[in-house]
Amino acid sequence: MSLDTMLKKLSVSSPWLFRINAGSCNGCDVELATTACIPRYDVERFGCKYCGSPRHADIVLITGPLTARMRDRVLRVWHDIPEPKVTVAVGVCPISGGVFREGYSIRGPIDRYIPVDVNVPGCPPRPQAILESVVLARSIWLKKLGLEK
Amino acid sequence: MTDTLLGIMHMCIFPGGLFALAIGFLFKGIDRRVEARLQRRVGPPLLQPWIDAAKLLTKETMIPKTACRQAFLLAPVFGFTGMAVCAAFIPIAGVFDGLSNMGDLLVIFYLLPIPAIAIMLGGSASSSPFSAIGFSREMLMMLAYETPLLMILLSVAMLVGKSIAGTWGAEFSLLKIVLWQQENGSLGLNPSMIPAFIAYLIFLPGTMGAIPFDIPEAETEIIEGPLLEYGGPLLALFQITSALKTFVVLGLGVALFFPGVISQWWPINLIWFIVKCLVLMLISLTLVKSATGRFRIDQAFRFYITVPMALALCSLILVWVI
Amino acid sequence: MAGFLKVLFRNLLEGPCTDPYPFGKTFSPPSIRGKVLINPELCMGCGMCVYSCTAKAINITPLSDASGYTITVWRNTCCLCASCKHYCPMGAMSISDDWHLAHAADEKYALVERHTIKFTPCSNCGAMIRPLPLPMLKRLYAASDVDPEKIRSLCPKCRQIEAASQIVQNSGADAAKAENS
Repeated sequence: MSLDTMLKKLSVSSPWLFRINAGSCNGCDVELATTACIPRYDVERFGCKYCGSPRHADIVLITGPLTARMRDRVLRVWHDIPEPKVTVAVGVCPISGGVFREGYSIRGPIDRYIPVDVNVPGCPPRPQAILESVVLARSIWLKKLGLEK
Repeated sequence: MTDTLLGIMHMCIFPGGLFALAIGFLFKGIDRRVEARLQRRVGPPLLQPWIDAAKLLTKETMIPKTACRQAFLLAPVFGFTGMAVCAAFIPIAGVFDGLSNMGDLLVIFYLLPIPAIAIMLGGSASSSPFSAIGFSREMLMMLAYETPLLMILLSVAMLVGKSIAGTWGAEFSLLKIVLWQQENGSLGLNPSMIPAFIAYLIFLPGTMGAIPFDIPEAETEIIEGPLLEYGGPLLALFQITSALKTFVVLGLGVALFFPGVISQWWPINLIWFIVKCLVLMLISLTLVKSATGRFRIDQAFRFYITVPMALALCSLILVWVI
Repeated sequence: MAGFLKVLFRNLLEGPCTDPYPFGKTFSPPSIRGKVLINPELCMGCGMCVYSCTAKAINITPLSDASGYTITVWRNTCCLCASCKHYCPMGAMSISDDWHLAHAADEKYALVERHTIKFTPCSNCGAMIRPLPLPMLKRLYAASDVDPEKIRSLCPKCRQIEAASQIVQNSGADAAKAENS
């Protein structure tokens, strides 16, 4: 195994999470905060860390239905995240629009603009479901690195 | 010639460079783990800092269009070099005497702020408004915690110098301070030095940017501040620098206040040194980190120029009087 | 000062209280709202759920040959409010406690609960109807002596006539009984 492959295999154990709020009602954001702050869910045991800067991120968690005002900003921040990145849509809003679907100010669902890799439906999803999605995102990241089929 | 080679070896392998990096990353891993345990969490594996660094090496580097390219790329290297050199000046009692034994306390005092300066340089070169805020905060914090450090170093140097020379004097050789303490007892137990030791404990989280004083890199308000635009290998270099700095400040604390040895055999002494560093870290960084929030910048500044300053000044006066 | 040290020390002694999930077990409170399930036996296709669904996750479409209808719930837009369950007159909608909904994005449109419900001809006149479920009939005709089994396969019109004639017959029989005694 070459050094490069070894580093890549290791890298999956350190997924840094970054939240983008695309006009969410904050319900999903609160659930994301619980995964980090409440000892019962403790996302740090997978080596995750919520980082503040998009440049440090590996897994992007998008919440909210992508409002008209947020669209360009979300796209800009998303393009600032270095490859390889895995995008997770948290909650029903980014996946399909949820209760805001077809609203006058909604430009979502988010996969019109951004390739989403993992969906976690729920309004909001349980913290355990979010942990599940992070683990799923890790396996997708391995696939993106070309190490797993 | 051999001296130069030996010096380079000390900077690259032991105790600077690789050894300091191993210790620093180990300590950072333990720090995160213990912090998690103090909050009833499981926490990341002990090798997490290594994994983080490995991951960052595989990520792509992005340089902002408006950034000053050279300064942006060189700032982390600058900080790393400064700390790798500085680590070679830390004497490990009974194992290693330090790279130089003339006035090395002053050299350490000048080398210690280099990572902070590198962060400031990189932050200002990256041309982001958040980095600019982080830059100004970092500078303010540096002013706040370097002054008490100077007072602490001065009081230690004056106490030892006075005792060696018999009259007024200051001893700026860290090796001589260590040797003096091995004969006359640790300074951390000396009543006139206890305030200075407490001031050093307060200085540690400030210089490491640990939680109550992580104002320059506050990720929730100014999204990591000066490190905002860094990613990939450059960020890994900043993390390595931070690990080296952990080793340097903890090693300096042990050398200044508790440099005792327990055996003639050097591996035992090395382990004893590491254990002392670890205890120092757990008390001053981990315990504080796991139970506090973040100060505002003005609060932190006021805190640093009053509390540790007063404590260090107290020690200085005691040394003068006794 | 001493207070928080005591808390930290106690935390250290008690050890972590983290759920081992996703590598081990976790708990689900009994009232948790997970996937929406439809019971095709009970569904009448009245459209109350479609009307009450806040996220428009439920859809009822008649089949092209008018031989029945499909009812669909798309879980990726269902906001788990359970108002379909609350308003369903038949009790056909239910909320399970299965919350394992995370999935890869290519399965986005596969996360559907879909049932095709066929109409059956009325045993009397042959009109295509959706027969009322037995529990509902039992509840409707609880006060009278009408046998729900007999009128189940009838269309509403034939059912009215059948039920009325049964009631008349029964009451006639009752009257005869009363006269005899």
